[in-house]
Amino acid sequence: MVSSMDEKVVAVIMVGGPTKGTRFRPLSLNIPKPLFPIAGQPMVHHPISACKRIPNLAQIYLVGFYEEREFALYVSAISNELKVPVRYLREDKPHGSAGGLYHFRNLIMEDDPSHIFLLNCDVCCSFPLPEMLEAHRKYGGIGTLLVIKVSPESASQFGELVADPVTNELLHYTEKPETFVSDRINCGVYVFTPDIFTAIRDVSSQTKDTATLRRVSSVEALQPATRNSTDFVRLDQDILSPLAGKKQLYTYETMDFWEQIKSPGMSLRCSELYLSQFRLTSPQVLASGDGTKSAIVTGDVFIHPSAKVHPTAKIGPNVSISANARVGPGVRLISCIILDDVEIMENAVVTNAIVGWKSSIGRWSRVQAEGVYNSKLGVTILGDSVAVEDEVVVTSSIVLPNKTLNVSVQDEIIL
Amino acid sequence: MKALILVGGFGTRLRPLTLSFPKPLVDFANKPMILHQIEALKAVGVDEVVLAINYQPEVMLNFLKDFEAKLEIKITCSQETEPMGTAGPLALARDKLIDGSGEPFFVLNSDVISEYPLREMIEFHKAHGGEASIMVTKVDEPSKYGVVVMEETTGKVEKFVEKPKLYVGNKINAGIYLLNPSVLDKIELRPTSIEKETFPKIAAAQGLYAMVLPGFWMDIGQPKDYITGLRLYLDSLRKKSPAKLTTGAHIVGNVLVDETAKIGEGCLIGPDVAIGPGCVVESGVRLSRCTVMRGARIKKHACVSSSIIGWHSTVGQWARIENMTILGEDVHVGDEIYTNGGVVLPHKEIKSNILKPEIVM
Repeated sequence: MVSSMDEKVVAVIMVGGPTKGTRFRPLSLNIPKPLFPIAGQPMVHHPISACKRIPNLAQIYLVGFYEEREFALYVSAISNELKVPVRYLREDKPHGSAGGLYHFRNLIMEDDPSHIFLLNCDVCCSFPLPEMLEAHRKYGGIGTLLVIKVSPESASQFGELVADPVTNELLHYTEKPETFVSDRINCGVYVFTPDIFTAIRDVSSQTKDTATLRRVSSVEALQPATRNSTDFVRLDQDILSPLAGKKQLYTYETMDFWEQIKSPGMSLRCSELYLSQFRLTSPQVLASGDGTKSAIVTGDVFIHPSAKVHPTAKIGPNVSISANARVGPGVRLISCIILDDVEIMENAVVTNAIVGWKSSIGRWSRVQAEGVYNSKLGVTILGDSVAVEDEVVVTSSIVLPNKTLNVSVQDEIIL
Repeated sequence: MKALILVGGFGTRLRPLTLSFPKPLVDFANKPMILHQIEALKAVGVDEVVLAINYQPEVMLNFLKDFEAKLEIKITCSQETEPMGTAGPLALARDKLIDGSGEPFFVLNSDVISEYPLREMIEFHKAHGGEASIMVTKVDEPSKYGVVVMEETTGKVEKFVEKPKLYVGNKINAGIYLLNPSVLDKIELRPTSIEKETFPKIAAAQGLYAMVLPGFWMDIGQPKDYITGLRLYLDSLRKKSPAKLTTGAHIVGNVLVDETAKIGEGCLIGPDVAIGPGCVVESGVRLSRCTVMRGARIKKHACVSSSIIGWHSTVGQWARIENMTILGEDVHVGDEIYTNGGVVLPHKEIKSNILKPEIVM
């Protein structure tokens, strides 16, 4: 008899594509959103390293629409670093969130896994995956969703659901309802048994008269044969809603933080959340200093080992400084993300901003915003290679790559 | 004869169009901006064009191979590793520009659109015998630019005055030069300004002459000037090769339509409209003072004025697009939508009205 210790688990992380998620511009103009650094690591690194904690993890698949070459380097580096096979699979055309999973089912089932995790790359949370798996085994259904309680006002942006308080069974599910249904929402993290593929297949065959049951090889699936809507299956509307209340789906509630990284401003908020999580799980990753040998650090701060920060600078709280950045004397950084190769000159102040790769911030200049993470100009964003000249003030603005600002600006988008 | 075209950098002022293609490849009057200049140079016997670029050389090189073959002219790139200003690139490309024949070479600024009277410029250059010739153009507000102060009869240049506060003249540098190879000896290989360093030197030695550019001139580096430039260009086309313009009951004023574009029934097109290759304009559409780029579709009953519709975009039925709306590549404006000066980045859908000018990322 196969004990649960021998059962393998596969994780699938949906990473999206370049023409989707234009909300993340201008940060996504020159880098795929999943590779944008949050708390010092690419966004997708956080769910990937959470998957590493799952016992008997056999494989991680990243599924998306980006060109293979955009992920090639990252995937081989992270496989080496974490010693777990990570592979990027490119969807040829939109299949919907469940259709995409189904499309690659042959590869996913190669290791004969007993359970399959499905995560969305732009979810920011504590990913309690081993705990979810244990709960799922007890429930005995075909799937378990991670859920969280939110404020009633914000709930309508998400999938709202109702769960049985005793059995945790998913009783009702509805996506972005107009009227209030529930303050429990779908976090976008799931664990399934392989029966999920049958459920997806049943949904797609219901929409066609002839229910032909064939195992389509992945090569055949790539042929542009009959373009029909049976290929397109959404997880929320087509699987979760219909199966709710049938003792097939269950919920696991997280009491930790949860956010979605849809806009650039949210990446600053999520950086803050992950940095505070590091404080609990791996405090050695965070920076410290008192101004004697190294800069004064207050609150949760990440400084890449190759970055140079002058001892008279004061950094934090909630600051991430990436590789090869140079922070000059007397600089003050509060609530910001400083990307690779940025140069910040003497006495400059950066607060509530994201400073793009290779940008330069002049002496006594000030880059600031109010720090309202979800509003369009709530966090100032400087794209790659933006030069802010000495003494210039940039307030609540977005500046596209390769611009030089020699006059102060406020509440502007600069193309 | 050789020529150098100063292409320079990122073309940020022409965003969102330059987010999809480097500026020289952005279409103007249905062909890539730089092709207008390369064709004009080929017509006066230039056999090699050097492009001084510092951005996306790979994208450029692919297109250039195509032009090289079609036009039978040699096109090479000189890549700046750091911005070299307006004269530095000449020094960088020195070996390509000097072929031992002693002939002068052209230098053009890629943002400029004009009638390119290059043959007249060659005659002018031979006649005065000086080291360098520069085209100047008359403008209404000279203090926005660098003014070239010159002797009216001979064209001999006395000096350059940058943004003069008091009136010193109304002719500005049009960005078209014809230079003897000896000019290259005067340019060091470092970031240099041709107006601030090189030309004043030559002028002091009485070797710089200016010719007033006949016909239109426009710097089309930003959308507003792009639209004005199209009007001037089509005006000039009406005078020089009217057969290229489209005529018909549904056409008003100067309109240029690519032969592969389709126009439906009951439309009214013009004045000052360019419709690119593969475009589809459905029936009942009104277009005025606008550019419709390759592969775009304008659906029935829509009305577009004073705007630029980017490659492969669509404008929905009954939509109204006006007042400097710029749609980037692959932008889809829904049916019945109104946009007033919206600037939309590539790969977007517009499903709600844009009531006042705004940037949609």
